[in-house]
Amino acid sequence: MRPFLPLFCILCALPARPAEPLDLAPVRKWLARQDELRSVEADFTQIRALRALRDPITTPGHLWFSAPDSLRWELGEPARTIVVRKGDTYYLIQPAKKKAERYKAESMAKKGGAMGFAMMNFPIAKDFADFNRQFETLAVSVSSDHCHLEILPRDAQAQKFLQAIKLDFDTASGHLLCFELVTREGSSLRNDFANVRMNQKFDRRVFEYDFTGYEIVDGKN
Amino acid sequence: MERTRLRWVGIAVALLVFVGAGLSRISFNVDILRLLPTHLPQVKGLSLFLKHFAQPNELIVTIEAPTPAAADRTAGTLAEALAKRPDLVERVVAHAPWEKHPADLSELLAYLVLNQPPEKIRSLVAAVAPENADATLKASVERLGDSVSPQEIAVLSYDPYNFAGVLGDAGFLSSNGIEPSEFSSADGTYRVVYVLSAHSFPNYKAAIAWVRTINGLARAAVADPAVHLGFTGEPAFMADISGSMEWDMMSSGFATLLVIASIFWLCYRRARPLLDLQNMLVLIFTLTLAAAGLFLSQLTVIGVGCAAIMIGLSVDYGYFVYQRSIHHHGTLAELQRQCVQNIVWTSGTTAAVFFALNFSSLPGLSQLGNLVGIGVIIGAIVMLTLFARLAIRFHRREDSRLPSVVERLFATPGFWRNGAFLTGGLVVVLLGVLCVKGPPPPDFSARTLRPRVSEAYTALDHLYVRLTDDRDVLSLVVAGKDAPEVLKRLRTAEASLAAAQARGEVKSYRTALPLWPVTKNQRANLAALAALAAELPRLRKSAVDAGFKDEAFVLDEAMLRQWQEWAQKNGIADHSDGATAPAAVTESTPIWPQNNTSRWIFRRVASHEGDQLLAMGMVTPMPGHEDDVTKAVQSDGTWLVSWNQLGRELRRVIPREFGRVIIALSAVVIFLLAIAYRDLLAVSLFVLTTALVLACLAGAMSLLGMSWNFFNLAALLLLLGTGTDYSILLLLALKRNGGDAPAAQRELGLVICLCAFSASAGFGTISWANHIGLASLGQTCALGLVIDALISLFLLPQAWTFLHRRPARAG
Repeated sequence: MRPFLPLFCILCALPARPAEPLDLAPVRKWLARQDELRSVEADFTQIRALRALRDPITTPGHLWFSAPDSLRWELGEPARTIVVRKGDTYYLIQPAKKKAERYKAESMAKKGGAMGFAMMNFPIAKDFADFNRQFETLAVSVSSDHCHLEILPRDAQAQKFLQAIKLDFDTASGHLLCFELVTREGSSLRNDFANVRMNQKFDRRVFEYDFTGYEIVDGKN
Repeated sequence: MERTRLRWVGIAVALLVFVGAGLSRISFNVDILRLLPTHLPQVKGLSLFLKHFAQPNELIVTIEAPTPAAADRTAGTLAEALAKRPDLVERVVAHAPWEKHPADLSELLAYLVLNQPPEKIRSLVAAVAPENADATLKASVERLGDSVSPQEIAVLSYDPYNFAGVLGDAGFLSSNGIEPSEFSSADGTYRVVYVLSAHSFPNYKAAIAWVRTINGLARAAVADPAVHLGFTGEPAFMADISGSMEWDMMSSGFATLLVIASIFWLCYRRARPLLDLQNMLVLIFTLTLAAAGLFLSQLTVIGVGCAAIMIGLSVDYGYFVYQRSIHHHGTLAELQRQCVQNIVWTSGTTAAVFFALNFSSLPGLSQLGNLVGIGVIIGAIVMLTLFARLAIRFHRREDSRLPSVVERLFATPGFWRNGAFLTGGLVVVLLGVLCVKGPPPPDFSARTLRPRVSEAYTALDHLYVRLTDDRDVLSLVVAGKDAPEVLKRLRTAEASLAAAQARGEVKSYRTALPLWPVTKNQRANLAALAALAAELPRLRKSAVDAGFKDEAFVLDEAMLRQWQEWAQKNGIADHSDGATAPAAVTESTPIWPQNNTSRWIFRRVASHEGDQLLAMGMVTPMPGHEDDVTKAVQSDGTWLVSWNQLGRELRRVIPREFGRVIIALSAVVIFLLAIAYRDLLAVSLFVLTTALVLACLAGAMSLLGMSWNFFNLAALLLLLGTGTDYSILLLLALKRNGGDAPAAQRELGLVICLCAFSASAGFGTISWANHIGLASLGQTCALGLVIDALISLFLLPQAWTFLHRRPARAG
């Protein structure tokens, strides 16, 4: 996985490993519930706290997901950036410029799928074994029905640039509340989800996109 | 007497000077391509690639550890330990240079922007003008909020004015040689550390010593037994290959001397002549090596095989002289006259065949041919002059001696009868194998160019497995006399590759075009970009006002200062005092980025030292389309090369060429023999014997599972020159004694046997050479010589008798 190839990064020490074994039962349960996931629709607010900027950038967005691999992720209102996955192809669309880049899902999979676009995969892993294969768990904490999870991709290249991936989810409903990427350079990209609707019907035409008048190029991986 | 003594002293002194001068110039060339035809495009292109991009002073140390943390720790420890030895190591690179010094990438970015078309630079300059700067910065902030490309976010964060935006798609970091994967495998447990020597290596011994020292330091620094270190790269190849070359030469020469001594003792049981013969062989070898040092350039891996071959051939003349001297009771001059005809014909045909290897377009074989040809001539002269003198003196002092067991065996008729039956049986078996299994298959892969055992190659193979295996990738090499010429050729190559990709022949490609300097653009852009440096305070303030932190401006500031520095170096006036129009750009060579990070990135992409400029790229063809792509792209100054492609090209060229040379040589030998024999039947018997030998050799190779390759194809040539000696000698004897086959066998049997075994020993001892090609040459020649000797000794006289008896029966 190579979610980031930043120009400037400062190599920091890896986060200290917890001395005691972590209780991953909430994570296991949550992942098991991903099997039941057929569709997700949610609003989100993305907050980009970039080290280079004095103030964070806040942008609203919306996402749709339908199992097994249909995804639409819109950033901005009106949408300024759209990511659509249909079948084995991702499209990165800039409506204002009428431009789109096309990526093969197979090559994106090497970068962690949607995480190659600094977004979250749905589901994050096929099962608990797959989760452990992809990620190292750094911290887990539960308070009432809120679980906070910190993980790090096991990919050596990703570890050079990422300090942690932070997830918050509702242990009762299984809804994802927050997803955050934190880089070693000191920047973070956080998505706070709201109005999460799981396994509810929505118009599947949302995964279609009219590229009339668009310039479509193959993206460089 | 006094004059004779003075003459000998003079000769000895001259020889000593000759030997000293020659031996001091001996050096080894481990470049495999030196063995191959230089006119072939693949050889030319690969030679350029190895010369300019192979990093001759860079050792690659590989680390394999059970965990990423252990691998990382080991790489750090190793780098630290080696960096403490500036007497040995100029630099150790364990991480991508831009990871620890990211600011160094600003020079590369500034260079890439400088290369852009002037209209893009005009847009850039306009975008940062006072009236437009705020809009540009606002667009950057918006982009930082909208972009889902981690790379774009990372770059734009520190490039508020989006100077890098003129570069187009932000894939430049991965598409322009900046690959983190050259340091680490994906799982992090395999790491690579690059160690640059503090000095160039004047010779192979210096390379061996340096590699050993670094090896020792590395192993001392890395105590963890779970961590495995490997050493590869050009210095390691040089150390491995030249070390084994030196050993192969010495050991095969020594082993041949030992075998010859054993055979001689078994046959003659005489210590003094044996010692004299050995001394003569050492003298011949020394004189030949000295001649090689003086007249030839560096010895290649094939040239080192000459020692054993030459000893094995030269000793034939010594055997012949000694055998004659046993029964000689006349003067030295008479003995020499008796021997000279045979020795001149055999050494002459042998030397002619070996020198004829110069017609081969394989320089390695040409060198072998020259060395052995020179050695054979020197050998004949030394044996006829010095050894004859010693042999005759020995026999004058000696009482008559009893024949040895071997001599008695050769004198018995039963030996020849049984020998004929057994040889006939062997011929039937081998021809049968040839009919059933067919001829030996060809193996013209690059495998035979490599050493058999080499830690450096093992480490390299493992590196391909753990990092990127680019062995099926073709390297694009573009050369030119100046940057514009290379640029033109690069553009042509890109167009050809794009067309090939559209036809489905190419999977992907990457050339040096994005990194290559565009001198015209540099000259047009430098003044305008350098002038922006005067605006630094305004630009910084605007960026901060737009929401960027002060530190976010470091990249843009570094780029502006870089353009200013280049402008000053290139004679453009400094207009920081506010003057309006920049001075005209002066003519200059292209601007190249020079800091350590840029040099690291460019080291495998561009070479611009010296009088020839080169650019490199990588092309992944679709399987089965390698030849199509190569044909489409290759042109004047442009090559598409790989070791596999080289193998394919050699497969097309070499067998055809060998066929031509073999036919030509055969014609020459037959012509010479026609003059010597003046008998059509004798010449026909010679041709038939040779054909039978070659057919049996093919059968034996099939039986033993051997294959033909670039090197042992030369065995056919060598057998023409050496193995044919046995049938030539026998036919000459039969003509001389009126066709008395048993007499000819008794006269020459022991000598031919000795010659065949010695020559086989000479070739046989290079069978264990570390170089696969050389070893196969030795095996094939040894096999061929034994078969030739058996057929010549046991079957040829029978055939002569049979054919010459027939007219009498008919009468």
